Amino acid sequence: MLEMDGSKPIYVQIAEWLEKEIIDETLKSDEKVYSQYQLADLFNINPATAGKGLTLLIDAEIIYKRRGLGTFVASDAREKLLAKRKVHTLHRLIEELLDEAELLGIDEQHLLSKIRATRNKREGDLR
Amino acid sequence: MTAVELMNVTKKYHKHLALNGLDVNIKKDVMTGVIGRNGVGKTTMMKMIAGFVQETSGTIRVFGESPFNNLTVSANVLFVDDAMQFAQTMSLHDILKECKRFYPNWDHALADRLVQYFGFHLDARHRYLSKGKKNTFNAIIGIAARCALTLFDEPITGMDAGVRKDFYRALLKDYIAHPRTILLSSHHFEEMEDLLEDVLIIQNGKAHFHGSVTELQEMLISLKGNGEILASAAAGKTVVYQQKSGPYTEWLVENTFTAAELDRLKSKRVIATPVSANSAYLALTEQRTGGIDDVFA
Repeated sequence: MLEMDGSKPIYVQIAEWLEKEIIDETLKSDEKVYSQYQLADLFNINPATAGKGLTLLIDAEIIYKRRGLGTFVASDAREKLLAKRKVHTLHRLIEELLDEAELLGIDEQHLLSKIRATRNKREGDLR
Repeated sequence: MTAVELMNVTKKYHKHLALNGLDVNIKKDVMTGVIGRNGVGKTTMMKMIAGFVQETSGTIRVFGESPFNNLTVSANVLFVDDAMQFAQTMSLHDILKECKRFYPNWDHALADRLVQYFGFHLDARHRYLSKGKKNTFNAIIGIAARCALTLFDEPITGMDAGVRKDFYRALLKDYIAHPRTILLSSHHFEEMEDLLEDVLIIQNGKAHFHGSVTELQEMLISLKGNGEILASAAAGKTVVYQQKSGPYTEWLVENTFTAAELDRLKSKRVIATPVSANSAYLALTEQRTGGIDDVFA
């Protein structure tokens, strides 16, 4: 589930994994989030590291703390994450795509037609 | 809260300085990895904390007391290594029974399950166990005793890859259920870094780095590209490591670059990548006299 390749700090990977759980609605609004000890056991990592991952999401107001009860998914967490992903992740992927296209000498027209073709093929596969 | 405090500690063996002004504070209930190249003083430090070896100068405090010749410290500290001695006439079963009598927090059911899981014969004698089996058994004692401070000195020596993985997992699970202060020394930092909260790098008898694994991991950044561009990019920053291979030069530099600076470097065809905690450790403890290649030059 995690890359565990050392290129990204584990606590960032934990936070990203939880974000994914919220986006695909495995974790729903106001549902209890795994404790740092559950995360530590699940991913075989130190509980302090898991705690750092949770803190990252608390600071971003994706999850919130209830004293003595644990942490819960904020009601607007999914919307927030989707908005963030649209801006950041898509932007990053487009940057990478443009870098690669430039390297290969593919012009904009060609690139767009390739995106369209892949998309059509996917939709065809699903049908 | 602090569990272990070392202030300006030195240890001299004849004329050789094993520890040279070591200053360390180990937080209570934290799992800390003790790493460093061979012969830098890891074992000496851990034996001093356990009260086995007396400091030449400086001050050591374990739970607020000087550990050498101290009953309170002895009762709350367990030092696990491959040289643990048990009475020769005792079977493994007898040893476990004695542990139960001796350690107040001993979990006998857990010890039994672990011993069974790792395939020990309870009537076997400790001294006839293979190196790996001996260390596995000693590690089981270290886990099941649940001492307030447990020191594992190279616990995985001789264990096969599967047993090592199981040992790490067993230690983590028991630590999650019963948090306590644990020091773990090993030459396989990459295997245990996820398990640890803090890491203490010892070099030349001193603490070279002491902080969280995350800090170590985020401390350096690797830059690959043209040497001249790297030199101007890293101006004013600490460069820990340099290597040239073919047209590319790789530098490990302190990670204080802003996102904008990194973007600018990227446009100059410099590849910036994070540095794993293990690579950072290796770079930080690199011999200043050069690498192994220089021996053959």
